[in-house]
Amino acid sequence: MKAEHKQGWLFVSPWVIGFVLLTAGPMVYSLYLSFTASSLLSPPQWVGLENYRRMFGDPIFYRSLGNTAYYAVLGVPLGMVLSLGLALLLDAPVRGLGFFRTLFFLPSVTNTVALSILWLWLLNPEFGLINLALARFGLEGPLWLQDETWAKPALVLMSLWTVGGQMIICLAALQGVPPELKEAAAIDGAGPVRRFFAVTLPLISPALLFNLIMGLVGALQVFTQAFVMTGGVQPGSEGGPNQSTLFIVLYIYKKAFQEYDMGYASALAWALFLIITVCTWIAWRVSKSRVHYEGGSA
Amino acid sequence: MTLMKLPEAPLTSFVRYLLPGFLASLFLLTGCGGSGGNDRTIVYNCAANTAEIAALKPAQEKFFARTGIHVKLNPFSGEEKLYAMIAAGQAPDVFYTNNAVRDRLAAEGRLLDLRPFAEQDPVWAKLRPEVKAAAVSADGGIYSLGNWTHTCGVYYDRAAFAAAGLKPPAADWTWADFRAAAQALTRDDNGDGKPERYGAFIPAHFIEALEQMNHAPIAHDGLFLAIPPEAREAYAAYLELIRAGVMPDIRRVQALGMQAAQMLQSGRVAMLFEAVPHTGLIETLTNDWAVAPLPRFGAKEPRYFRSASGGLSLSATVENPADAWRALVWLISEAEPYQPSPVLAAVPFVTAWEEKYPRLRGRGFREVWELSEQHPGGDPRYFVRFASWSMGPVMTRFQPWLDRLWSGDATIDQVVAAVPGINAEVRRDLERQLQSSALRPAWKAALEKALAEAQP
Amino acid sequence: MNGLSHGSAPARVLRIGTLYLVLLGLGALFATPVAWMLSSSLHTLPDVFAQPYRWLPAVLQWENYVRAVTILPVPLFLWNTIVITVPVMAATALSSALVAYGFARFRFPGRDLLFSLCLATMMLPGQVTMIPLYILFARLGWVDTYLPLIVPALFGSPFYIFLLRQFFLTIPKDSEEAALIDGASRLRIWWSIILPQARPALATVLIFTFIGTWNDFFGPLLYLNSPEKATLTLGLNLMKTQVLGSGVVEWNVLMAGSLLVLLPNVVLFFLAQQHFIKGISMGASK
Repeated sequence: MKAEHKQGWLFVSPWVIGFVLLTAGPMVYSLYLSFTASSLLSPPQWVGLENYRRMFGDPIFYRSLGNTAYYAVLGVPLGMVLSLGLALLLDAPVRGLGFFRTLFFLPSVTNTVALSILWLWLLNPEFGLINLALARFGLEGPLWLQDETWAKPALVLMSLWTVGGQMIICLAALQGVPPELKEAAAIDGAGPVRRFFAVTLPLISPALLFNLIMGLVGALQVFTQAFVMTGGVQPGSEGGPNQSTLFIVLYIYKKAFQEYDMGYASALAWALFLIITVCTWIAWRVSKSRVHYEGGSA
Repeated sequence: MTLMKLPEAPLTSFVRYLLPGFLASLFLLTGCGGSGGNDRTIVYNCAANTAEIAALKPAQEKFFARTGIHVKLNPFSGEEKLYAMIAAGQAPDVFYTNNAVRDRLAAEGRLLDLRPFAEQDPVWAKLRPEVKAAAVSADGGIYSLGNWTHTCGVYYDRAAFAAAGLKPPAADWTWADFRAAAQALTRDDNGDGKPERYGAFIPAHFIEALEQMNHAPIAHDGLFLAIPPEAREAYAAYLELIRAGVMPDIRRVQALGMQAAQMLQSGRVAMLFEAVPHTGLIETLTNDWAVAPLPRFGAKEPRYFRSASGGLSLSATVENPADAWRALVWLISEAEPYQPSPVLAAVPFVTAWEEKYPRLRGRGFREVWELSEQHPGGDPRYFVRFASWSMGPVMTRFQPWLDRLWSGDATIDQVVAAVPGINAEVRRDLERQLQSSALRPAWKAALEKALAEAQP
Repeated sequence: MNGLSHGSAPARVLRIGTLYLVLLGLGALFATPVAWMLSSSLHTLPDVFAQPYRWLPAVLQWENYVRAVTILPVPLFLWNTIVITVPVMAATALSSALVAYGFARFRFPGRDLLFSLCLATMMLPGQVTMIPLYILFARLGWVDTYLPLIVPALFGSPFYIFLLRQFFLTIPKDSEEAALIDGASRLRIWWSIILPQARPALATVLIFTFIGTWNDFFGPLLYLNSPEKATLTLGLNLMKTQVLGSGVVEWNVLMAGSLLVLLPNVVLFFLAQQHFIKGISMGASK
C-alpha cells in the first residue's frame, strides 16, 4: 500500500471504527427489518418486499411525501438566502456586531419547549403578534397551525427563525475571504454587487454547499416542530388539521412508536433515505462545477 | 480554543498510541456501568415530575419498612424510551400503559398476566366495576390495573348564569335546556359577529360523551368504525352549535392555544365539557364556577361517561412477580401520593376529594360523580374506533374526515359514506397483523373470532 | 460588504446608520424568544397565559427563579451536564478534524465511497436505528451510564466531518507542501498548519457541539435512568410533565429554569464568536 493511502486511511480510521462498531449494525438491521413484519418485541418475520409494496398503495405515505416536499422546497432556499444575508450584514467592519451576532443566534439555542410555546402564542390568531401586525394593514390573518393551507408555511416561518447555525457557518466562511482580493476587484472598478458575485461567492461556495446539503437533509427529515406543535390529544390527530403537517418522519414515528409496526416504519425510513440520497447527489452534481475549492478539489 | 501542542511525532505513533488509546478509553469507561440491586427491588416508572417524585420518596420508605420491598423510581415519560427498554429486555418492573399499548405488548408476551394474583388477592373484589371491566383484555387475561377513573361534566360560570337570568342547570336538564342556555349566554356586544363570550365549548374529544348520552351503541372491543344514527344525531347537534355561533370554531380554539381552564377563567365561554375531577381546573379556576351533569338527550335515560382506561402493568421480565404485584397493588390503592384512591369502590371518593380540595364543596361535584355511578354508561373510549387493535388504523384514516367535518369542508353524509372504505383498509391492516407469528395463540384466536364476527 | 469603508464621510455615516437600523430591526425580531422567556419567567402563572399578553408584569416575580433552583438539585445536574459536555466537545472536535483532514487531503482507494457513506449515515431517520442502537448499548451494559452519550463522540460526527472537510478544502496547499519538504509528518502538519488556519471552523464546531450536548434532551432521556444522573435539560422536563389527573405545569418557573440553562450558551457564544472573526483568515496565509 502506498504511503499516502495508508496515511489517508489512518486519518479517517476513527470514523471508520465508529461506523463499524456503532452505526453500521443498527443501519443494516433496520434495512433487514424493512423486509420483515416486526414490532421488535418478537423475532422478525420475513415478508420480502411486502412492506414496500404496501407503501406504494398507501395514500397517507403519498400525502406525507407531498407535505415534506412542500416544506423542503419552500424552506431550504429561504433558509439559505436568509442565513447568507444575515452573515453578510454581520461581516461588515463596524463596532458592536458581536452583540447582534449573539441576538441572531439566540433562537437557535433556545429550548424547543420554550420556542414552541412562544410560537403557539406568536401564531395565535387573535392575540399573536403576527396577526396583530397583519391587522394593522387591515388584513385578517389566518388560523395558521389550525388552517390546512397555512400550517406548513407557519412551520417554515418558524424554521427561518433558527437559521443562526447556518448563519455562523456562512460567517466563518466569509472571514476566510482575503480582503486583498476584494480590494483588488474594487480597484479594477467592480461595484459591491459584482465583487460579491465574482469574488466572495465563489470563495464561500464550499460552505454554501454544506448549508444546502444539510438544509436538504434537515428539511426532508423535519420532525420535532411538527411533533410538538401540531400533535393532537386524540390518536390520529397528530400531523395537524387534515394531516397537513404529517411529514414522512412524523409518519414513521407514528408507525414505529404508536403502532409498533417497525417493519413498515423501517421500509418508510429506507424509502426516505433513498429520496434524500438522490436529492443530495443531484445537489452535489449540479453544484460541483460551481463550488470553488482553493486547495484544489483534492 | 486552547489546544496543547502535541510532541512532534511521525504518523506511526498515532497508530501506536492514539488508536489503542481510543479503544482503551472505551473499556475504561465501560467499568463504571451497571447498577446492582437486591432481589426485592422493584423498579417503578413514575411520572417525570418533581412533585410526584418528592411525594413518593417518604411513601416508598414506609412501604419498605412494612414489606421489605424497595420500590426504585425510574421517572421518565416518552413512549420511545419505554419501547426501547422493553425491546432490549430491560423494562421497568411496573409501568403505566394505556389499553392500546397494553394489548399490543401483552399479545407479544411482554406483560405478566395478573390473573393468578387477582384471583387470590382480596383487592380485586374491591375495585370499581369499570376498573375491573377495563382490566380484562380480549384474550381473557389481565395485563393492567387501572390507577385513575373519571367522568365528564359541564363546568359553568355561575355568575354568568345569574347575570343572564338563568337558573343553574338541573340534574335532569336536557340538550334543549343546554342549547337554550348556550344561546342566552352568548354575548356579542360589539355586534361584529364574533362573540366576546360563547355560550359553550365542547372539545372534540368529548363528542363521544354526546354520542353515548344519545344511546349510540358501544361495541366493547369492536374492531370497525360505525357511525350509527344516534352518533349522526350527536354530530349534527354538535355542528349546529358551531353554525349557530354559540360555540367557537374548534380550529380557532385550538389555534388560540387556550387550556380548558383558561376558556372558562377568561370568560370566553360560559359552559365547558371537561373531565370530572380535573386537578388542573380545580387548582386554577378562581371565578364562581360549578359543575353540572351532562345534558340528557330528550327522554332518553342518561348514560354517563365512566372512564378507567389505562393503568399499571407488570413486565414479563420481572424477577420476583409476587413482590411486583404487591408493589402494584400498593401503588393503585394505598400509596400516599395517590390518595384518595380513585379505583377502590369502598373509598368515599367525593368526601375524600372534597377534603383534599375544599373548594370542590358546594359546586356540584358530588352530584355529578354520584349520578355517573348510578347511571354508568361505560367508557366511550370503547366506542368501536377506540378498540385497542384497530384504534390506530381507524383513527389515522378517520381523523382527517372529522377535521373536515368540523371545519365545514365535509358533511355528515360524506363522512358516513367514507366509513366502508375506511373499514376495508382497517380490515386489511388487521389481517396483516393476524399473519404475524409474534401473536400469542390466545390473542390470535380472539382477533380471528372478532374479525369473523364482524364479517358483513 | 467591504463597501462600508469606502466613499466620502457623510455617505459612510449614512450607510453605517442604515446598517445599524436594519440590524436593530432584525435583532428585535430574533430576540423575541428570549425576551418572552424573560418576561414570562417574571409573571405569575395565570398571567403567563393572559390574553392579550402583557410584556411587563405588574409585579416582578423574582421568586420564580428561587423556586426553579430549589425544586431541582441544580449543582448536581449542572455537574452531570458538564461531565458529559466537556469530553464530548473535545472528542468531537479532535476526531472530526482528523477524519475531515483525511477526506480533504489524501487520495486513497475507496475514499469517495467512504465519504459518501459518512454523509449517508445522516440520511437515515434516527427513529428506526434508535432501538437497535439502544439494544446494542444495553447489551454492553452501558444503559444508565454516560457512555452512550460520550463514546460516540470519539469517532467524530458526520456533520462536523463534512463541515470541516469543506473548510479544509478552501485552505491553499502551499504551506503544507513546504512543510512536507521540510520533513514534517502529516499529523504535525494537521496540528500546526491546518488547525490554526481552520480556527473559525473549529470554533464553530466547538460551539455547536456545546449547544447540541448541553441542550440535548433525547439522548439523556433514553440512556439515563437514575434521577441522580439527570442532566439540566432532563431536569427541566421534570417540571413540565403533568401528573395523574392532569396537574398544573408551572410555566413561569419552567421558563425561569430554561433561561438559567440557556445562559451558558449565550455567554459562551458571545465569547467564542471572537474566534470566527479575529481568527486567522482562511486562505489568506501564504
